[in-house]
Amino acid sequence: MDRDQRRDRGGDWDWDHPQCRAQLDQIFFRQQDYIQAGSPEHRDFWTFFERFQRFRTRRDVRGPGPGSSGETPGGGGTRGQRDLGLPKEYDARYRINMSVCTGDVEERLGSRPPGSGSSGSRPPGSGSRGPGPEQIADCRLAYLHFLDFTQRQSFGKLARLRRDQKNLPIHQYRDRIVDLVRRHPVVLVAGDTGCGKSTQVPQYLLASGLSCIACTQPRRIACISLAKRVSFESLNQYGSQVGYQIRFETTRTAATKLSFLTEGLLLRQIQQDPGLDQYQVLIVDEVHERHLHCDFLLGVLRPLLARRPALRLVLMSATINIKLFSSYFASAPVLQVPGRLFPIQVIYQPIPPEEQASRLEKLDPRPYLRVLQGIDRRYPPEERGDLLLFLSGVAEISTIQEACQVYATHTQRWIILPLHSTLSLAQQDKVFDISPPGVRKCIISTNIAETSVTIDGVRFVVDSGKVKEMSFDPKAKMQRLQEFWISRASAEQRKGRAGRTGPGVCYRLYAESDYDAFAPYPVPEIHRVALDSLVLQMKSMGVGDPRSFVFIDPPPAASIQTAMTYLREQGALDRHGELTSVGSLLAQLPVDVVIGKMLVLGSVFNVVEPVLTVAAALSVQSPFLRSAQHNPDCATARQPLHSNQGDPFTLLNTFNAWVKVKGERGGGSRKWCRRRGLEEQRLYEMVNLRRQFKELLKSHGLLEAAPPPAGERGQRRERLTERRKLHQLKREHDLTEGSRRKVLRLGEEGEGGSDSGSDAESTDRRTKDKDRPGQSTDIQEVKFKLRHNVSELQEAALASQDLSSRQQSILKLVLCRGLYPQLALPDEHNATRKDSEQVFHTRSKQGVVIHPTSVFASDPEVLRVPEDEVRELGNAPPPSLTRHQLLSFVTLLETNKPYLSNCVRVPALQALLLVANSVDSNADCSRLVIDGWLELELREPDGALKVLSSALSLRADWERLLLARLGQCQNQGQGLGRGPGQGLGQDQGQGASGAGVSRKEMDKLSEGLVRFLLYTEVSYSLRRLTAFQTQNLYVGPQAETEPPQNPLFPGVEAKPDPIKGGLRVSAFFTYNCLADARDLYSECLRTFWTCPTCDLYMPFTPLERMQHEAACRRPGELQDAAAAAAAAEGSKAARSLAAPSLTRVYHCDVCDEDLTLSSTEILKHKRQHMASLK
Amino acid sequence: MELMTSDLLQNTFMCELCGLSTPYTYYGQKPPNTRAIVLLEECFVTKDPFSPDKERFLVLGSKCSLCGSNACIGSDCSLFYTTRFCMRCVNKHLDQFPTQIQSELMKKKQPSNPAVP
Ligand SMILES: [Zn+2]
Ligand SMILES: [Zn+2]
Repeated sequence: MDRDQRRDRGGDWDWDHPQCRAQLDQIFFRQQDYIQAGSPEHRDFWTFFERFQRFRTRRDVRGPGPGSSGETPGGGGTRGQRDLGLPKEYDARYRINMSVCTGDVEERLGSRPPGSGSSGSRPPGSGSRGPGPEQIADCRLAYLHFLDFTQRQSFGKLARLRRDQKNLPIHQYRDRIVDLVRRHPVVLVAGDTGCGKSTQVPQYLLASGLSCIACTQPRRIACISLAKRVSFESLNQYGSQVGYQIRFETTRTAATKLSFLTEGLLLRQIQQDPGLDQYQVLIVDEVHERHLHCDFLLGVLRPLLARRPALRLVLMSATINIKLFSSYFASAPVLQVPGRLFPIQVIYQPIPPEEQASRLEKLDPRPYLRVLQGIDRRYPPEERGDLLLFLSGVAEISTIQEACQVYATHTQRWIILPLHSTLSLAQQDKVFDISPPGVRKCIISTNIAETSVTIDGVRFVVDSGKVKEMSFDPKAKMQRLQEFWISRASAEQRKGRAGRTGPGVCYRLYAESDYDAFAPYPVPEIHRVALDSLVLQMKSMGVGDPRSFVFIDPPPAASIQTAMTYLREQGALDRHGELTSVGSLLAQLPVDVVIGKMLVLGSVFNVVEPVLTVAAALSVQSPFLRSAQHNPDCATARQPLHSNQGDPFTLLNTFNAWVKVKGERGGGSRKWCRRRGLEEQRLYEMVNLRRQFKELLKSHGLLEAAPPPAGERGQRRERLTERRKLHQLKREHDLTEGSRRKVLRLGEEGEGGSDSGSDAESTDRRTKDKDRPGQSTDIQEVKFKLRHNVSELQEAALASQDLSSRQQSILKLVLCRGLYPQLALPDEHNATRKDSEQVFHTRSKQGVVIHPTSVFASDPEVLRVPEDEVRELGNAPPPSLTRHQLLSFVTLLETNKPYLSNCVRVPALQALLLVANSVDSNADCSRLVIDGWLELELREPDGALKVLSSALSLRADWERLLLARLGQCQNQGQGLGRGPGQGLGQDQGQGASGAGVSRKEMDKLSEGLVRFLLYTEVSYSLRRLTAFQTQNLYVGPQAETEPPQNPLFPGVEAKPDPIKGGLRVSAFFTYNCLADARDLYSECLRTFWTCPTCDLYMPFTPLERMQHEAACRRPGELQDAAAAAAAAEGSKAARSLAAPSLTRVYHCDVCDEDLTLSSTEILKHKRQHMASLK
Repeated sequence: MELMTSDLLQNTFMCELCGLSTPYTYYGQKPPNTRAIVLLEECFVTKDPFSPDKERFLVLGSKCSLCGSNACIGSDCSLFYTTRFCMRCVNKHLDQFPTQIQSELMKKKQPSNPAVP
C-alpha cells in the first residue's frame, strides 16, 4: 500500500491514523450528533471516506475534467430564457442539498488559519495539534457526500418498493375495493397467489382512512410476516399502527390500527367482546382453505354483522368456490383479480402400471428420475429454473430423495432438498438458498409448498397427485393419516407454483382422465377432524346448539354428537349438554381437552411446575428430530435425557436440562441442542406456551400469584438496561432479516451429513457476518431473554428436575387422569414377542403398536411384569400378579400401522380405580370390570375390599378438593355443579362451593394417593373381556322391585342401577351388578370384621364395610374433617357416600329421639337395638 | 355508515413527475433529530424506514424552484444544483447547466447503448 498516496495535502496529517480520525470524530460525530462515533454508520462513514478520497485523488491526478472549469454554460437569457443564476464553475458540492454546521465546535477547538498546519515534522496525529481547516473541510465534504449517498440509497429502495406495489395486479382495483367496502357490509376479494391481496388490501383500507382493522390468517407465521411486510411497505409511517397478535406475542398497542391475527385468536376475542366493538373492519384471508376455525369464524360473523351494521367484512380467497362464500353472505359482491402467472405447460405422464407401488411397497423412483433426466436433456443448464416435486408424505420424500441424490451426484447438475414440517427449521430454510450456476435445485416437498411456503425461481413442477391427510375415526377413537388423490383445486395450485417468475412446466404423474375425476375442492377440515374443541368453544361462546348452528358447509351430525359425548365423558359438559365449571375453564385453554385437564388437575397438587412443562411439551411438535435418531452421537448425547417412565418424562428432562444450559451458557444452548438432535425452536415454543399456561392458571386462581421479584434496585436497573439493549438487537435483526440468501454448494444437501452440514454452515454464516450488527445475534435467544426471567425458569426447572418417586407417581396419576380414557393394555403374549413387535390394545382399537420414537419402543422390557414375580406365581392362567401396568397415551395415529405416541406407564389396578368412569363389581368385589372392557380378578376378597374402599375415599376427597378449588376460583362460574356428570370434578354433583382448600388437606390427599399408588400389594389378573363376555356382563335390573336390602344410610343414595342392576354406590362405582358364577346374595356375605380405625367389630357385607370405611376416620382426623365440613356449611356436598358429611340428624324409632350422629354412629346405634332385641 | 377520511391523506407527498406517493412526516429545512445537519431547501421528509435506527430522516422530494411542482429526489424526476429543478425544467434550460450535468443526462437518455464511448 502506498501510504503517501493516501496522505493528504496536510503534510504529516495521516488520515489512516486512529488518532487523527478521533479528532475529527470530536467535531462531526460526537454523542449528541446525528451519527455517533462507534456506531455502525460511523464505521460505514470511514469506509466511505477512504473510497471517496481515493476517488478524489484519482481525479486530481487526471486533472480537471473537460468543461469543469471556465466553460460557463448558457450565458443566460438566450432565446428569451430565464437566467437560472447557476454558479460559473461546476462543483459536485452544489448537487448536495444539505450542509453540516460545525462552526461552534471548530471555534472551540481553535483551529488555525489555513497553511499553518503544513510546517513542522511532528509525529502524525499527535494530540497537541488538531486537524487543520483543510482536513476539516475534507471531512465535511466527505460527510456530505456520505449523507447524500445514504439518502439516495434509501430513496432508491423506497422507489423500488413503490414500483413493485404498483405493478401488482391488484393495484388497479385499489379504488374499486375501497369503494365496495364503503358501500357493502361484506365484500369478497378473489385473487390468485401473487396478485398481492394479502399485503395490499389492508393498506388500501388503511390509507382510505379506515382504522381498527383486523386481518385474520390461518397460520401464525403469516401473521408475523405480513405485519412486518405491511409495516415496511407503509414505511412504518404507521409506526406501531401495524401489528400482529399471535398465541404468545402481541405487538398491538393502543395506537394499532391494523393487526394481523390468527382465526383462533379472533374467535377468542369474540368470547370477550361479543360485538367485536374494537374493530371497524374485519378481513378474513384465505377463506378458501376452509380451516376449521375459519369456517366457524364465518358462522359466528354472519349473525354478528346483522347486529352491527357498521362493521365491514372483507373475505379474501383464491379464485376457488367463490359462489359458496358469496351466497353464504347474502350474495356479497365479488371482486375478482387475475393472478400474475406466466403460461404453464401441462404434461400428463401417468405412471405405468409396472412402476406403481402397492400400498405397502416403497415408491418406485423411476417416473421421477425420468423427469429430471428429461429436464437435463431438453433445457441447457444455463437456463435457470428449479424443480419442485410434490409427494404425499415424509417416507415418500426420503425414498425419492435417495434415488434423486444418486442421480444428482452422478450428473453434478442438481441439488436435492427435502421440505416438510418435521425437518429442522434450518433445513427447511435451505430451500430458499440459491443454487450455483449450472445447477438446479430439486425441492421434494409435501403439500406444505402448495400454499404455506412460497419458493421463487421454480420453473418445473412435478405433481404426484397425492396428499396425506389427517382424519378422525370416531369409532376407533383414532387419528388416521391416509393418502388420497388431491382435488383439482390443489392440482391447479401446485401447477401455479411453476409460473411465478416466468413460463413454466408442470408434469402430472397421472392421466388427464384422473384429473377430471378428482374432487373439485379439498375436503374441508370440518368434515375430517374430531370436533371436540370446536364444540367446547361453541358451548363456551354460547352460540346455541352446535347441531343447529349455520355453518357454511355443516359437518355431519354424527361428528358433533361424538364430540358432545366425548366432552360429557371428560366432564366438560353435563348430562344436559351444558358447560360445567371445568368445561368453561377448559374452553379458555388453547389446547386439547386432555392437556387442559392435566393442567387443572396438576394445580391441586404440588406438581404444578412439571405439569406445566409436560402440558406445554405435549402441545408442540416433538423437539427430537427424527433424522438424528440414527446418528449414534446424538443418541449417546440424548441418553441421559431419557426416562423409562414414559415420553412425557423424557420431554420434562429435556426441557429442564435445556433451561439449565440457558441459564449457564445463554446462547450456547444452540450448540447443546444440535449435539442432541433437538430442534431448539420447539423448546422456545414450549417455554412460551408454558408461561401462557401459568398465566391462565393464575388468572383462574388455580395458582397462587408469585410474590413480586424482590430484586434489588440495582439489579432491576441492570435488567432494564439489558432489555433496552436486547430490544435494539431485535430491531436490527428485524431489519436485516432474510435480506441475503446463501449460495448452496453441490453435495451439501447430503442427507446423512445434513446435521454436521448445517453445523458448518451456520458457523460459516456467523463468521461471515461478524462485523454486521444484528447478524451474529441469535434472535431466538434475544426474544427468549426479553420474554422470560431465566432465573425464575431455572428455579421451576430445579423444582421439577429431581422428582422424588412420590412426586413422580402423583405426576403420572395427573397425566393418566388427564389423558383418560386413552389407555392401552399390553397384549398377554408380549413376553414371547420380539421387542419391535410388542402389541397393545385400547378399548376401541385392537392391535396397536408403539411409535418408534417412544422410549417404550426401545425399552419395552419395563412394561412387562418382573420375571421373578411371574416365576414365583407359576404359569396358572390367567397370571395373577401385583404389578400389571397400562400405558396412558397422548395420541393414537394410524399411518401404515396404528401407533401410540407419547406414552406413560402406570400401575394398572391403582390407576384404573382412581380414574375410570365406570367400575363394576360382583358381590364380594373379587371381580371388577372397568369401563366395560377390562376385567380384574383379585385373589383375596379381603384385600380387594380394602383397595376398593381406599380408592373410593381417595377419589371422593380428590373430587371434593378439586371442586372446592374450582369453586374457589370461579365462584361466579356459570355451570358449577349443574348436576352430576361422570368425569373430572363431577363425581359429586354438588360442589363444595365456598370451601377453601387448605394446603394441609391437599398434602394429606397426595400422601394418601402416593401410598395407594406405590404400596398397594394386591395380586390380581388383568385381561380384556371378549365380545361375548361383554354381552352378558350385567345382571340387569332385578325383577323383584324390592328395594335394596337394609339401606344402612338413608342419606346415601345407593340406588339400584336401572341398566346394570346392582347398586350404584357412587357416580363411577356400581356394586354387585356383574353377572357372576358366584352370584350369591350380598346379604349372605356378611362376615365379621374389625374396623382398623374405630375398632368397631361386627358382621358387614362388603358394601357396608366400604361405606363404613369411607365414613370412619381416626379421632384426630375427624376434627379436621369436621372443621372442613363446617366451612362448607350450606353445601350439600354430603349427598353421596363418597363425600360424607359426618354427622346428621337421625331419628331413631326405637328410642323415639332425634340424634345427631355420624353414619358409623348410626350404624352402631342400630346394631345396639338389634342386639338387644335378640 | 360514516367512514371518516383521516388526515393521513393530507400528509402524503406525491411526485408530479413519476407519481410516487408516500406519506411524509415533516416539511421544512430542519427535520427533527438532524443536529448539525441543515437542508438547503424545504423538503418533504419522512423517517428512513430502511435504517435500524429509528431517528434517521429520509428526504422524499421538494418543490421545483422554477415551476413549483412537487418532484421526488429520484434522478429521473429532479436534480439539485444549488437549488431544486424538476426534470421538465432542467430539460427546458439544459444549456444553462454545466457540461458535466449535460453529458450525464445525455448518457442516461440512451442507456440501451452499451457501446464503448
Ligand atoms: Zn418522481
Ligand atoms: Zn419545474
